[in-house]
Amino acid sequence: MSAASVMARVDRDRARSWLQDYGVYVGVAAIVLFNVVFTPGFVSLENFRVQAVQAAPIVVVALGMALVIATGGIDLSVGAVMALSAAFVSLYLGYGPLVSVLVALLVGAVAGAVNGTIVAVAGVQAIIVTLAMMIAGRGLALVLVPQLEGIRNPALREFGSGSVAGVPYVVWVAALMVALVLFLVRRTLFGRRLVAVGGNRRAAELSGLPVRRTLLLVYTLCGALAAVAGVMTTARLQASDPNSVGLLIELSAITAVVVGGTPLSGGRVRVAGTVAGAILMQLLVATLIKHNLPPSWTQMAQTAVIIAAVYVARERGRS
Amino acid sequence: MPTDRGTPVLRARGLVKRFPGVRALAGVDLDLHPGRVHALVGENGAGKSTLIKVLTGVHGRDGGELELDGRPAGFATPAEAQRAGLATIYQEVDLLPLLSVARNLFLGREPRWFGLIDFPRMHREAAEALGEYGVHVDVRRPLGDLSMGARQMVALARAVSARARVVIMDEPTSSLEPREVHTLFEVIGRLRGRGIAVVYVSHRLDELYEVCDDVTVLRDGHAVHSGPLAGLERLRLIALMLGRDMSEVAREGATTFAGAHDVAGGAPALTAEALTARHRLRGVSLDIRPGEVVGLGGLLGSGRTETARAVAGDLALEEGRVAVAGLPVRGRGTAAAIRAGISLLPEDRKHEGIVPGLSVRENIALAAMPRLSRFGLVSERRVDRVVSTFMERLRIKATGPSQKVEELSGGNQQKVLLARWLALNPAVLLLDEPTRGIDVGAKAEVQRLVDELAEDGLGVLLISSDLEELVEGADRVVVLKDGAVVGELSGASVTEDALVDAIARGEASPVVRDRSDGGAGAAPEEEVER
Amino acid sequence: MQHDPQETEPRRPRPALAAAAAAAAVLLAVTACARTEEDASEDDGGGGGGEGQEQVLDEAAAGDETCTLDEYGGEGFDLTDVRVGFSQSEAESNPFRITETQSIVDEAEERGVDLITSNAQSDFAQQINDVQDLMSQGAEVLIIAPLNSDGWKPVLDEAAAEDIPIITVDRAINGTACEDFVTFIGSDFVEQGRRAADQMIDALDGEGEVAVLLGAAGNNVTTERTEGFQERIEAEAPGIEIVFEQSGDFTREGGQSVTEQLVQSEPDIDGIYAQNDEMGIGAVTALNGAGKESGEVSIVTVDGTEEAVQHIVDGWIHGVVESNPRFGPLAFEAAESFGAGEEVGTELIITDRAYDPSNAEEELPHAY
Repeated sequence: MSAASVMARVDRDRARSWLQDYGVYVGVAAIVLFNVVFTPGFVSLENFRVQAVQAAPIVVVALGMALVIATGGIDLSVGAVMALSAAFVSLYLGYGPLVSVLVALLVGAVAGAVNGTIVAVAGVQAIIVTLAMMIAGRGLALVLVPQLEGIRNPALREFGSGSVAGVPYVVWVAALMVALVLFLVRRTLFGRRLVAVGGNRRAAELSGLPVRRTLLLVYTLCGALAAVAGVMTTARLQASDPNSVGLLIELSAITAVVVGGTPLSGGRVRVAGTVAGAILMQLLVATLIKHNLPPSWTQMAQTAVIIAAVYVARERGRS
Repeated sequence: MPTDRGTPVLRARGLVKRFPGVRALAGVDLDLHPGRVHALVGENGAGKSTLIKVLTGVHGRDGGELELDGRPAGFATPAEAQRAGLATIYQEVDLLPLLSVARNLFLGREPRWFGLIDFPRMHREAAEALGEYGVHVDVRRPLGDLSMGARQMVALARAVSARARVVIMDEPTSSLEPREVHTLFEVIGRLRGRGIAVVYVSHRLDELYEVCDDVTVLRDGHAVHSGPLAGLERLRLIALMLGRDMSEVAREGATTFAGAHDVAGGAPALTAEALTARHRLRGVSLDIRPGEVVGLGGLLGSGRTETARAVAGDLALEEGRVAVAGLPVRGRGTAAAIRAGISLLPEDRKHEGIVPGLSVRENIALAAMPRLSRFGLVSERRVDRVVSTFMERLRIKATGPSQKVEELSGGNQQKVLLARWLALNPAVLLLDEPTRGIDVGAKAEVQRLVDELAEDGLGVLLISSDLEELVEGADRVVVLKDGAVVGELSGASVTEDALVDAIARGEASPVVRDRSDGGAGAAPEEEVER
Repeated sequence: MQHDPQETEPRRPRPALAAAAAAAAVLLAVTACARTEEDASEDDGGGGGGEGQEQVLDEAAAGDETCTLDEYGGEGFDLTDVRVGFSQSEAESNPFRITETQSIVDEAEERGVDLITSNAQSDFAQQINDVQDLMSQGAEVLIIAPLNSDGWKPVLDEAAAEDIPIITVDRAINGTACEDFVTFIGSDFVEQGRRAADQMIDALDGEGEVAVLLGAAGNNVTTERTEGFQERIEAEAPGIEIVFEQSGDFTREGGQSVTEQLVQSEPDIDGIYAQNDEMGIGAVTALNGAGKESGEVSIVTVDGTEEAVQHIVDGWIHGVVESNPRFGPLAFEAAESFGAGEEVGTELIITDRAYDPSNAEEELPHAY
């Protein structure tokens, strides 16, 4: 290989690496710009509120997914865990909204811990374990709450549709979760461990890292975050609907994570990129709806984004 | 034995295979003759696996010629090689455990009866075929029910079809019981009788002398010797493998080791007693005093790496105790060993060492992170301090602490890993092949560093396939064979000659195989694929 | 080629219980039974509620062809002497399926018929097995709520060999009437769309901009309810313009999300046609959240669940076209007539009721 072609390849790698890291922001900027110019009523506080509220559950689920993917795993059960948490909110509402929400979060964490235990201790592939949980979780949710149940609790209703300082509660909660995950990733030992486990599990083991504990914690956290999203959706819908809550959200979340620059192979995690990725997915859907394009377009547009992201993120030529 | 044995069935001339950064085969010649068993030997990374893969079409070749029956040949895929009559049996048996034995045996060439599989005939023929290999089982049972040895025989029977001209066996005995080894040798004898050329790869010298006719010794991608095995002394064979008397011994100049160290008295830095792990270690004991460099000698598979891993808590032990400065290591696992002050620089830098996506900084701080944290929060200031200290001390060449470690050269990656372990301020440092695959300059620096560390009072265990490095670097060398200590050299007797002699003596007086525990042979070290 | 269902929810995996998670969760669920009744949602009504709202045949819509025992083959029977098998296609997790199964079970009990049931949980292969099982358990009459219209040939042949009469409900099976099956009893989804359009025209006085919340894509219910609606609007109310059509996937969440977007891009929308109640209720939540007053946007939906009808009473929904799932009485009546050797129509289309502000309050107890 000539020196010139080597240089060309290096340049290509650089460009791709830049795209992988920052492409998502370019994407968000482009879609916002498009809407500002072509979508009537896009630049309004009320519209921003709607987009933020609808993006909030995707953001929260994607955060947990980003952590799991950073360890080289995957969690397909997030949608089912949302359904479980929705079911438990409804079941425990008799004890008051706070108790029911706490129980729902606990159930999400337990479901995540079960995933984590099987992945970390039994060493079963994450995709298999969480696929089983995806089926079992939603099944169980449907056994517990067979059909949509309205939630008439004023506190939950306020949480779902109310605002403080002009920002909806659910958006506050999503922001809080972003801050929490950012803190975990940037400042804590746990944050360092999870990328090391994803980057080279064997090296992590030999370096004395508690690999299993780290994996267990990551899946538990992912479950708990999915449960937060389940509570958000339930409050917003004013109904517990285990049948359809979180359906296919795992795809949006995985896409958001990958588009945001976290490689599916693990070993690194980009929190801000993930948030931007989730916002991108939301705006994509909103734009197509606002312009009344056929629903099949939405799926095609999402597919195009995924393919673009995966292409950019694909393993750079092994040296 | 006639020296001229006619046309070889397979002839290779000047085979070259390059991988990025390495020349795995640097012009290898090989002649395989019908009805002869050809041993292929060499230390880890000498190029045995690569050679086999190039012969059988798994890898393409970058140079050289291949002739089959005197006609130019070359196989683009393993399937092509197979059609031409080259059968390969790999270490890991690649069959389908859930299908029946007979189905596995006839997969893809089942006897047909009006388009359907003729099961009665298939079962009958399978039972007959396997009988020849000493396997008498119900061929309708799933393959997974069989022992590893029997499965290997099925793989062999499957590979050796009527058209096979050359049969290549890569470490065929590594998972076999002694009785099964015996059967295998009978089978090999029969193949020889049918005029088939057999390539036999093994590091068990006893077996080679029992079953092989010819031998080719590979070292660093060169065929350093080729000829009949009979008459080749065991000592000389080992010397060839280890490369002691090659004319280019002094190739990169002498090592940079300074010589003997001032070994402190008092409690040993490390005491390991009776380390025992099934199939791997059989009661290895050794101790290292502060300031001492102890080398581990022995051939590939003798248990050197396993000993280091056992000490570092990375190998589950059935028996054995490890103590640091007289205090027993409490708990199990690598974390416990690290807490006790033991650091292991693993052999496989890429797969066990660096975390490729992370920066130099994160890689250095990886193991020490808990010590640089409080209440689970990392102190970036302390991390920065440790990282800059070690980058300076080890002269790590990087654009900065935030550069990705995968962008560094092999030598600098190795220094990053050394920094990772030194950041723990260990009492004992275990170095498994610390200079393999790094350039001359980095090699010298690493060797100098080992000296410095010993002078600082660390106990160092050094594993190296480079005899020169071992002899000059170590104050004392413990020689292993089949997972047991078979000799020790110290003081003035640490010389290359003495070491080769000790290794050979260990080989020459083989420990009687313990038949009860399934061939106490050392577990195979997997060849490092580059 | 799959004629998809009576709307209901999108496909989802079959429920299955995984050990550990389930154990923990069940424990919590058991303790949860202590909840007080008032807190349980008010729309618990579900199964079997709304008695007396039997289906009525639409004589005009029904086909002319008939079937008799002689043509179909087999011997006459008295319903009380035979065993009847009912194969349900989807889990009873939505009001429609709950009410449908309940109606069959109740009617069998009423008539003293020996009924055996099965549920295929949205798995077509399972439903084929179910029907074969029902036959092997001695069912001599089959009532099937098919998941798919196609793929029934093997089972139909098996039934035909034993002269077992088959009645399909809510969705048709593709085959020859009076040969492969006796009769199909169901709704006319196109007609439901037309009637929804009538309600919309009434609400808007024939003038305004309307949005459509479509059901799941690729579903024949979606297509037919859209077709009828468009056809009637074009014919009767040129002043009404359909400006927006997006899918809410037949779910409340979908209806809510799409309506939230809609309100931003079309703030002056006058009417919303939701192709099922769930999406309509989601639209109500969205309008409420966007600060709209009840009645500001006229919503028309299809289904007739209790919660939707309650919203008419509250003023948020203008009208609901019913899609009646209570197939029990008609199905058994058809079976009885057939067994007695009488003529039975091969296509029985039912009249669906409609709810609007004039009758919602009094009809509310009858909604399902």
